Amino acid sequence: MFKPQMTRILRSIRFNIFLGSLIAFFAAVGTILPQLGQEPQKANAFMQAHPLWTKFFSFFGMFDLYHSWWFMGILALMAVDVVLCKLWNKPPDVGIVSLPPELTNEEDLEKHLDKKEAALKLKPFQAFFGSKMGLEDAWLAARGHLKREGYHVKEEFFLPGQAGAFTATKHRIQRWGSYFAHIGLVVILIGALIRSVFGFVEMVPVLEGGSRRMQHMFDPRSFAQRVEQLFWGHPWNMKEPIDVYVDKFTIEYYHGTMEPKLFASNARVMAGDQLLGQKIIRVNHPLDINGVRFYQASWGAGGMFRSVTLKLGKETLKLPQRTPVKIPGTPFTVEADMMLPNFTITDGQADTASLDLKNPAVRLMFSVGPHQTSPLWLLQNYPDLCFTEDANGQLTHAPSPPFQLAAVDPILFSGIQVAYDPGFPIVVLGAIMWLLGMIALFYMHRRRIWVLLESSGAGSCRVNLGAWSSRGVREYEAEFRSLAKSLRTELKSEDNFRLTENPIVEVS
Amino acid sequence: MNYEVLFLKGAWAFYSLATAAAFVYLYNKDEKWSRWMFRLVAAGLALHLASFGFGMHYFWKIPDNRYYFPINSFFGALSFLSLATVAVFFVIESRHQLGILGAFVLPWAAIGTGSALIFANPAVEGLVPALQNYWINIHPVILMTSYAAFGNAFGVGVALLIQEHQIKSRKPSELCYRLPSIEELDNLNYRIIVWAFPVLTVGIIMGGIWAYSAWGRFWGWDPKETWALITALVYAGYLHMRFVKGLRGKKAVYVSMVGFACVLFTFLGVNFLSPLHGYLSGGG
Repeated sequence: MFKPQMTRILRSIRFNIFLGSLIAFFAAVGTILPQLGQEPQKANAFMQAHPLWTKFFSFFGMFDLYHSWWFMGILALMAVDVVLCKLWNKPPDVGIVSLPPELTNEEDLEKHLDKKEAALKLKPFQAFFGSKMGLEDAWLAARGHLKREGYHVKEEFFLPGQAGAFTATKHRIQRWGSYFAHIGLVVILIGALIRSVFGFVEMVPVLEGGSRRMQHMFDPRSFAQRVEQLFWGHPWNMKEPIDVYVDKFTIEYYHGTMEPKLFASNARVMAGDQLLGQKIIRVNHPLDINGVRFYQASWGAGGMFRSVTLKLGKETLKLPQRTPVKIPGTPFTVEADMMLPNFTITDGQADTASLDLKNPAVRLMFSVGPHQTSPLWLLQNYPDLCFTEDANGQLTHAPSPPFQLAAVDPILFSGIQVAYDPGFPIVVLGAIMWLLGMIALFYMHRRRIWVLLESSGAGSCRVNLGAWSSRGVREYEAEFRSLAKSLRTELKSEDNFRLTENPIVEVS
Repeated sequence: MNYEVLFLKGAWAFYSLATAAAFVYLYNKDEKWSRWMFRLVAAGLALHLASFGFGMHYFWKIPDNRYYFPINSFFGALSFLSLATVAVFFVIESRHQLGILGAFVLPWAAIGTGSALIFANPAVEGLVPALQNYWINIHPVILMTSYAAFGNAFGVGVALLIQEHQIKSRKPSELCYRLPSIEELDNLNYRIIVWAFPVLTVGIIMGGIWAYSAWGRFWGWDPKETWALITALVYAGYLHMRFVKGLRGKKAVYVSMVGFACVLFTFLGVNFLSPLHGYLSGGG
């Protein structure tokens, strides 16, 4: 299938770094080029302004870059490569290299005793000293001491009257940190994949007092739902379309500002006549129905209103939308047909800068019998400003009117985001694995000590220590020094001991 | 009187003096300058903490802001980032006593604090609904702590490049003897990044969990989160190059500096791209 050369490239860390760089590069491109998923208006404006570039970019799916087949492909390849890398490449870790002599049995120890100096020199830290204890006592005391220091003693070999050797390790889990973290990363990617296959996100804008039908259907016969049934069960098994009702929408502002401090929908979710769930949903407090969550994502004024209030001297006049009302004491009738929540002028025409009520304006039509005047725009926040609109929608400044826009009672829409993400628990599991792996890998430090004791006559022996740690050289040097000193006291040594570091430096 | 701003001005003054002392120490062998730098930093840090405390006091006068950290505004974020930078520096300096590092890290803290005072608006505002969540005390705090650590690593990297230049030049100046060895600087740079990298990734994941609980999506490729991911990828590249390929010295520092450029862009530049995480919009 794959040539060996190919698999070698695929499992190389260099290739993984290249893939990571590629992901970083295209991810950055996606933040600069407007994306349909994130900023649809900006993306459409770009497409209209640059038709030639648009053809090129669209061909490669650059306007929905993060969901394009090739970007997903790079992510998937990265996940596969991480697994391959971890399976094939041993961690570059001197700690797992056994101390020669390769101590697999007593004979080996005997055979290689003469090579000990050379072998210990391979360790970054070494110490040598004589002990006034017999070999067996010293061997037991050294093992006991290291155990008390939190070391795990293993690979013990003892030749009575000749020599003894063992290794002691601490925080061995550090070695698995890298594996754990990388598996966590792959699990996160699997969670994201499950979401993109089985999950969905749908924006459902609902006018206050109204309802809207969700586009997403929960068809138990669909392939995705059948697969889901097999593994974890789909939240809903119904063919009826789902309607989201917003019975009441509440918005509160911080005192004296138009900055909202709270917005909430009294929402109901229905499937035909069946009530599936009901809750006052706020930002950060969604309604959860069997894993499908209804979030309060946004709100806005779409231009609908219950009424606007005009102030004519001391009198006020309430106008419902698109309902002509007679102005008392005059032959005029007035009708309010349109409202813009955040009035601005674009290319000479009335427009809104956003959907929040920062600068509400209303279009009024005055008429006497069959004769109608040009439409007139009044602004609530700027009572002295007034514009007339011609047949082409162009605005012209008009003199201050004798009436003002006192209030607007808008019908707001509640932006409810419906999301279903069966991959989320898996993402969280992956994140926990990543976190634990990172803690083990970077914040725990493995230590490994090789101890070789040689008999130097009755009642005395020679102690050789070699050590390695994943800690920084400086930090471990201090730790090893103190450990060697305490061991020396424990083994009743009277020598000035040699503590060495590659290259060997004598320490008195 | 706004004590938050007053104390921050005091902290700024101390950081500036500490920076000056650190620069004097670069060229003057007298250890007293290093000790003075450390004392001035400690005093600045104390004032900065007091400023943050007053900031919280003012912020919590609005009932809806209780008990969240005042880091939603650009002023609050910049002040906190500078505070974290100095705190990380303080920890490194207490442990390693390099003395010399101050000249490469403290200017950032002084510039950060100064920028908050000059360019940002300290006015207290109510939190937008998306931010009224305990996650605001976790997600940005963790991320900014990692940014602060990366800032320190950047300072160490600059010192390494200067030392490398000194050693290779025919006439090394006094500075060459003042700076630690390249190996020591490289090791410190690495150790700070090794500490900060998991913190960065955990911060990103926490943001994902918050986004899920607020909007129902763990990841949305919003520019801020995308750039945080890019930053993490660059530092992951650095760690792999160092771990596996044994990259050291100048080249390793260049890679870590690209990472820090990404940190700066994530913190500042993205505000021009993203309305969601932008400080001006006060979004999540």
